[in-house]
Amino acid sequence: MTRYIKRHSLQARITHDVTIIACILLAISGLFVFITPLNNLLPSQVTFGIRMAHRVLGVVFIVVPLVSALLAPKGVKHMFSNYLAKWDKDDVTFMKRFLPYMLGPKRVHMPDQHEVKSGQRLADGLLLVAGATIAISGVFLLLGTTVVSFGAGLMLVMHLLHDLAFLMLAVFGLAHIFLGSGIFQPYRRMRRVMFGNGLISESDALYHWGHWAREELEKGDKVVEIKD
Amino acid sequence: MSTEMAIYFDSSACTACKGCQCACKCWNSLPSPLGLNANEFTHSYQSPMDLNGNTRLIMRFEENESPKKWGVEWSFGRRSCMHCSNPGCASVCPSGALSVDEATGFVRVEEDKCIGCRYCETACPFDVPRYYGPDSKVNKCTACLDRQENGRAAQINNGTGVTQTQFNVPACVHTCPPGALDFGPRDEMIAKAYERVEFLKNREIDPSPHASVYGDKLFDGAGTHVIMVLKYPVETYGLPVDPKVSPMVDLLGWMKPLTGLAAAATVAGLGLSFLTGIGYKRDTLHYDEKKH
Repeated sequence: MTRYIKRHSLQARITHDVTIIACILLAISGLFVFITPLNNLLPSQVTFGIRMAHRVLGVVFIVVPLVSALLAPKGVKHMFSNYLAKWDKDDVTFMKRFLPYMLGPKRVHMPDQHEVKSGQRLADGLLLVAGATIAISGVFLLLGTTVVSFGAGLMLVMHLLHDLAFLMLAVFGLAHIFLGSGIFQPYRRMRRVMFGNGLISESDALYHWGHWAREELEKGDKVVEIKD
Repeated sequence: MSTEMAIYFDSSACTACKGCQCACKCWNSLPSPLGLNANEFTHSYQSPMDLNGNTRLIMRFEENESPKKWGVEWSFGRRSCMHCSNPGCASVCPSGALSVDEATGFVRVEEDKCIGCRYCETACPFDVPRYYGPDSKVNKCTACLDRQENGRAAQINNGTGVTQTQFNVPACVHTCPPGALDFGPRDEMIAKAYERVEFLKNREIDPSPHASVYGDKLFDGAGTHVIMVLKYPVETYGLPVDPKVSPMVDLLGWMKPLTGLAAAATVAGLGLSFLTGIGYKRDTLHYDEKKH
């Protein structure tokens, strides 16, 4: 028997997965606007079609998390309380050791962490900020080129914010994929937490989120035992 | 060999016949509404009131009080692409639909490359680019580069009353009856403009003290490829006195290489991290509630 802890609800997983797929497709379609050789590769009608698809995907990227948040306000509150939690000594140590750990996981031991690691709070927090920025600026760009005139100055600011947020998403998104999908060896099996059944094994939970895992194992209400 | 070219416009010689406006439409096959009263009434000779998806050039009509005891100062202006030497529109255009023609310095439009993003609209200090069709293609003056490149011959009045044959002339210049428009090497057009301004300022009958040359020194000296002789103050013609391309246009230009660099650095760092993690193993961890 192996003990598992339920880490993410079905709704959280669906929201995450749909948003992440929309985000990746948005990045790809956005590159056809952003990079001249790429959009010159295809006929302009195809690029135009990709731009329109970018807008539809943008709606998915914005609406799905918003609807999910409205359906589960307590979950949103819980998420933000985790992200805004006060940093303790372990959190600081985690951040200090992060780079050496990433370049030598066999040698560096990381301290126990709460439900959301300090590194997660920082990187995923910035990912959320970048996501919100790119969504808001995207709405301005969409409306400003279709139904409303916001003026050249504001539109340029929105272009810049959109591009800056894309840069942040590229950096933190790549890191998120590297860790979250388990490409990094110590993070193997992590993709099941969001793209699978939402369960994490006792061993992995203790390794990644020691404080949280012990609390949950003590409480027991999120613990399930599955026959090997 | 490339020679920077320019379109010359003399507002003091313009009679506002709108021949240039019509010639632009005809040459570029730009449609106009043909139904009864299909054109919006503008309360002015200016029609349409501004550039639009089918109109690349309009003549502006401005009526101001005259400092003299009688009459009005009626100014005729040209509103179209100024063909900046360092065009903001081309800088932000992600598809390469707008670019600077190396041979002449005019801003070239390649409609088949346009993806309708409208970035150029936000970067133009003269608010010129307009869009047409369901996929929002850019529409702006091309300085008839097609005519120039194909050696289209034209009989033009060079402003002195002498009609001569000139090749490669934009449609608007070709059609101008009073010779208010001219076309040629930019240096020559600037020299001609200054000569005309001198004349306007110093003529004995009805001198124009505010006459000036517009377009040669804008943008910190880079200038434009439309050189204007303005009889009245610049503002009279609805032109910005000191147009600026937003500094954000430059910042946007930095974003592509910066994002590419950041993404490449991230991939390289993560690749290194992956390599150092190869062979990583750890023992299975268990938690015993009773012992804690």
